[in-house]
Amino acid sequence: MNLKEYYERIEGDYSGVVSRLMNEKLVMKFVIKFLDDTSFDLLCKSLEEGNNEEAFRAAHTLKGIAQNLSFDKFYKSVYEITEELRNGGSANEATFERVKADYLYLFETTEQLRADNE
Amino acid sequence: MKNRITRFIFVSLIFLSVLCILVFSLMARYMHDKSGETIDEIGSVYMKGVGEQILLNFETSMDLRMSQMEAWYKNETLDPQNDRESMRSTFAYLAKARGYSNIGYYYGGNDFDMLYGDKIQIKDHDQFQGMLEDGNRWISIATDANGENLAILGVPIDYTDGNNQKVLALTVTLSMDYISRIFAMEKEDTLVNSYIILPNGSFVVRHNQGNYFDSVRERGDNKLLQYIDDLEAAMEVGVDYTGVFGENDERIRVYCAALAYSDWYLVTAMPFGMLNETIDGLNRSRMFSALGACGIILLAFVFIFFGYFRLTRQQIRELDKARDDAVRATKAKTEFLSNMSHDIRTPMNAIVGMTAIATANIDNKEQVKNCLRKITLSSRHLLGLINDVLDMSKIESGKMTLNMDKISLSEVMDGIVNIAQPQVKAKEQHFDVFIHDVSHENVMSDSVRLNQVLLNLISNAIKFTPEKGKIQITMYQEKSPKGDNFIRTHFMIKDTGIGMSPEFLKNVFESYAREDSARVRKTEGAGLGMAITKYIVDAMEGDITVESEQGQGTEFRVMIDFEKASQYEEELILPAWNMLVVDDDKMLCESAVSSLRETGVNAEWTLDGESAVELIDKRHSENNDYHIILLDWKLPGMDGIETARAIHDHLGVDIPILLISAYDWGDIEEEAKDAGISGFIPKPLFKSTLYNGLKRFAAVSEIKEAEIYENEISFEGKKILIAEDNELNWEIAEALLSGLGIELEWAQNGQICLEKLNESPEGYYDAILMDIRMPVMTGYEAASAIRKENRKDSDIPIIAMTADAFAEDIKKCLDCGMNAHIAKPIDIQEVSRVLNKYIMKN
Repeated sequence: MNLKEYYERIEGDYSGVVSRLMNEKLVMKFVIKFLDDTSFDLLCKSLEEGNNEEAFRAAHTLKGIAQNLSFDKFYKSVYEITEELRNGGSANEATFERVKADYLYLFETTEQLRADNE
Repeated sequence: MKNRITRFIFVSLIFLSVLCILVFSLMARYMHDKSGETIDEIGSVYMKGVGEQILLNFETSMDLRMSQMEAWYKNETLDPQNDRESMRSTFAYLAKARGYSNIGYYYGGNDFDMLYGDKIQIKDHDQFQGMLEDGNRWISIATDANGENLAILGVPIDYTDGNNQKVLALTVTLSMDYISRIFAMEKEDTLVNSYIILPNGSFVVRHNQGNYFDSVRERGDNKLLQYIDDLEAAMEVGVDYTGVFGENDERIRVYCAALAYSDWYLVTAMPFGMLNETIDGLNRSRMFSALGACGIILLAFVFIFFGYFRLTRQQIRELDKARDDAVRATKAKTEFLSNMSHDIRTPMNAIVGMTAIATANIDNKEQVKNCLRKITLSSRHLLGLINDVLDMSKIESGKMTLNMDKISLSEVMDGIVNIAQPQVKAKEQHFDVFIHDVSHENVMSDSVRLNQVLLNLISNAIKFTPEKGKIQITMYQEKSPKGDNFIRTHFMIKDTGIGMSPEFLKNVFESYAREDSARVRKTEGAGLGMAITKYIVDAMEGDITVESEQGQGTEFRVMIDFEKASQYEEELILPAWNMLVVDDDKMLCESAVSSLRETGVNAEWTLDGESAVELIDKRHSENNDYHIILLDWKLPGMDGIETARAIHDHLGVDIPILLISAYDWGDIEEEAKDAGISGFIPKPLFKSTLYNGLKRFAAVSEIKEAEIYENEISFEGKKILIAEDNELNWEIAEALLSGLGIELEWAQNGQICLEKLNESPEGYYDAILMDIRMPVMTGYEAASAIRKENRKDSDIPIIAMTADAFAEDIKKCLDCGMNAHIAKPIDIQEVSRVLNKYIMKN
């Protein structure tokens, strides 16, 4: 799997991210780095603990990453949960499930990308 | 070779024909013989049958008559009432009624008592008397008073007449005509002739009193003599005889047998003529059919052989042609080599010579420069020759392959035009490019090879067109018959040059061909260009044709079905810039704007310079500047240059302005640059032209160039603090911004950011990029805190950088004292633009 195929699989914007970051290698590096990012764990933990403010921040961070890396599909679900959590609101269970599903898919695909390109 | 094959064919044809004729003749001959034998067999069976029939007829008839006579006698003698006289009259009556010419009592010798009819004489009365005396019925020959032969039938009776004389027999006579009738002798309409002869050979029933043996012997044929001898011998022994004599159509079959109640012999002769005619008819038709069959087979032979002959001839012709071709190719190559050695030697000599001159005049800078220029020209020419030769050898060894890739036809055309322009200028030729109906400028092809084809055609056109001549390139597209995935593209290169002779036109695409005339002697070249061109077009499954007239000009037409590359077109993506297109042609504005929108740019358009300046002003006051402005050079009212000056006067220098024009950039470059115009995009504005003209503004290195150009702004050495809680986002920002030469420091949250700033010497940082949502201290809090710090640099530019891009978010940022807001995703363009704006302000 190359980067372009990867973006096709995760329904991201390949040309967008490459033109923005200028360099496919750089994109690849960041995408793989995404595997180490802990924002999603923080989101899960905060939601579990009922700390909606922290959860909002984590969701917001994820949203930023999704935008930076043009993870368009993941961005949509993360955007939704961010808006639900904004101003102390609480997250909808279904939305969280979708975020989780999208994140897991994204994570797995990214791991595969890493494996293919090592 | 040719003669040998022809000879072989003819000899075998003749041999087969002769064999065929021979076989059929032998067969006919054999059949003929066989049928002869069969006819003989049939003849003898038939003859025997006929003979026996006649014999039986004779015997029955005679037997009947003689039995009748016996019956008459018996009847008369049975009645005692009958006297001699009444018996006589009864006999006479009966004989008369039966048609006998006479009846009488026979006493022996020639002594008769005639009861009715004339007196007769028996020829061989001794034998007649003897036979009757022995009690036999007998038939013999008698003559009447007129000397006519009659057949006399005698039956012995035991009677004594009134004179008391012993009667030996009762006799009647029959005319020979009657006998003839019995035998159906000598009739015209039968196949068979019958004769009755006596043992000595004389005829019984012939009017001409002759002898059969003698008449046959008279013919004097040995075979006939033999036959007569055989016949006589057979008659003597008393056996039937069957034989054939005579030759061919005159052959006669003879059957001979003894007749009853007499010493007569029946000779039945059947001439073969008649039967033969019938059989011959059969033979003839068989012969004809055999001949016909033979003829048909011969015809078939001739046909097959002729066909084979023709094929062979054709093969030979092809072989000859191939050989001729090979010879010609070798000759062409030889000629080519001698040409080439001349062609190569000429620039080579120039190089060597010029090098020597340069060495000799090493101190004369002007001279050396001149030499080097000439060396450059010659080596370039030499390189061209060598490239052609290498290409050709690649083609001839089948190693040339096409590298199919997405290409832009507009780029190809632009490139070609750029290359052609200086040469055209040098020769002061009129040069036009027409492009119309181009629906797919992105296609799959080998750009290098396509360039090679077009350049070759164009450089030929330039080369062979005199000064002030006209060269015209046309490109258009139409639907391809190969399917929807293809687009048929035509290129036409037309010139008003010297043209080509019809003879040369025929092999213009052949290798090593160069018109050999004084007109082109001075024009150099390996003569491979057209062959290479043709080969490449063929490899692209295209078609190249040429029309030319000497002195009038030449037109080359290339037609290629390109595969469309539309699926790749979405890759022409530019950042989401705000752009303004200024041109007095509304159509051009609209098409350019729609092309720009397709690349992701938000474009607007206006028709003149004045309104453009207004629009730019308005945007600037809204803090929402255009990123790039496209400006037509020729505008009504304020022209492009003036407009550019006006924009710069209003706004300073930070908006790149690109000039769009159909004119040569070189002519106006200086003036344009003075007016602050950063670049040029040539018309017509293909989507790809726009993309290519603009993409350099999207690339870091290009940006630097552009920045340097715009009063040499550089971020080199600038220090920026980034407050960003997420490591990944930080790394992305770092990677992007460090490319601009900026030194970055990372603060993991607002608190750290504040601390870092406070720990640093005043003025250490040039700007802060602030994420909003951070743990411990948010961006808002941090910004407010920084502004409240009692430091000289507390007004440091703080630029919000966040995933939130709502209007209230932006407002909140500005309310907290931040200078600007950049939405994520981090766009290096945007960031550098904003940074440029605020850092340089300081």
